Amino acid sequence: MSCEFYESEMYAWRPGDDLPESKPLLDHVATCPECARWFANFSASDERIRQSFLQIPESPSLEAKIFAGLDYERLQKAPRKSSWRNWFLLPIAASLLFGVTLGFSPWIQEARLSRQVATLLSQPPSAEINSTDQKQLLSWSAGALSGDAALPPELSRIEFRAASSLNVASHKAVLLKMKNEQRASLLIIDGRLTEENTIKSFHETAGNDSRWSDGRRTYVLLFQGSEQDMHAYMTRMGIVT
Amino acid sequence: MQITDQMFNDWVRQHQRLLFGIAYWLTGSRSDAEELAQEAFLQAYRSRASLRDVELVKGWLVLRHCHNQMRRRTKSRVEVSFDEMFYEPESRPTLSADALSLHQSLSKLDERHRLPVVLFYFQELSYREIAEALELPIGTVMSRLARARQKLHELMKAPTKLVLMKKAEFL
Repeated sequence: MSCEFYESEMYAWRPGDDLPESKPLLDHVATCPECARWFANFSASDERIRQSFLQIPESPSLEAKIFAGLDYERLQKAPRKSSWRNWFLLPIAASLLFGVTLGFSPWIQEARLSRQVATLLSQPPSAEINSTDQKQLLSWSAGALSGDAALPPELSRIEFRAASSLNVASHKAVLLKMKNEQRASLLIIDGRLTEENTIKSFHETAGNDSRWSDGRRTYVLLFQGSEQDMHAYMTRMGIVT
Repeated sequence: MQITDQMFNDWVRQHQRLLFGIAYWLTGSRSDAEELAQEAFLQAYRSRASLRDVELVKGWLVLRHCHNQMRRRTKSRVEVSFDEMFYEPESRPTLSADALSLHQSLSKLDERHRLPVVLFYFQELSYREIAEALELPIGTVMSRLARARQKLHELMKAPTKLVLMKKAEFL
């Protein structure tokens, strides 16, 4: 076998491999100084790649997010015992369920939104696109949402500098960072998650948010600062009068 | 077999970091990886009845669900370039020159080579485990992986301008 053959065989070898298939390669490397040098370089480079793979960023809120999704799933699909009694109780249960769903569904949605907003305020996601071109940012956002990303009139004076996509309560969403105010960002969610226009305050170090819906989408202005500062910013930008 | 919520919660705690890591190297983005890991666990929970052997839970989570989510996403959205990702202010301090080079090199591998190579290096699966998980003959996995590793070594040897700048501490 030629040295070229053994060089290609190195890519099939893994550190600590004692498979019978690796024996001819290791025997050759032990007797050929040229291939031994090549093998040493290859092993060093392979170890560098292996170490690079270990460099993954921290994601401290991931576990909580996974459990939040699972909790919601379990809440929706709680198992029910099936017996003859259930058939008698079915009409009552159906009307109760209907009432509870009508009554609690917005509350559950709102609670999920609050959880996610609190997370976003304390740990904003990394931007996926940075651009000063408003059209480019909105067109990228349209791709991450369903349909167009046209902004409602009250947001027409706002300009953005970066965007990232995410999921909020199983709805597609984008988070846009404001250009003229580092503390502010706008969350656009493809779905109605709030019943009324509200301002929510979180822990004072995390910030505040103001949320409203046009019926089709929910808009949340996140502000890493006091409620007064958020109000001042919203007034300055013409979001509230 | 009956998979209880408690069992599933334990799997989330044990394997969320693994799924996130694999998704991170497959997508090149932290936020995409987080979203993908969440979706993968949710899909896995919904189809938990399809898991025949709890011993195989890791492969089932990673390959059936994490990989399926990734394929679905790459079909439906435009990928963010690794250069853009590098310029994110949040990710800049965390990326070494080698990690940046690895991100860029992985993005140049096609999907059928990228997944085995990530499983090989990050998860350190054996050839047999990768073959079983991908439902491929072991010989195919070995040759595919050898080709992928060769390409990865070559790409890592030829650093881009961005990596050279990072190495010179210009960034």
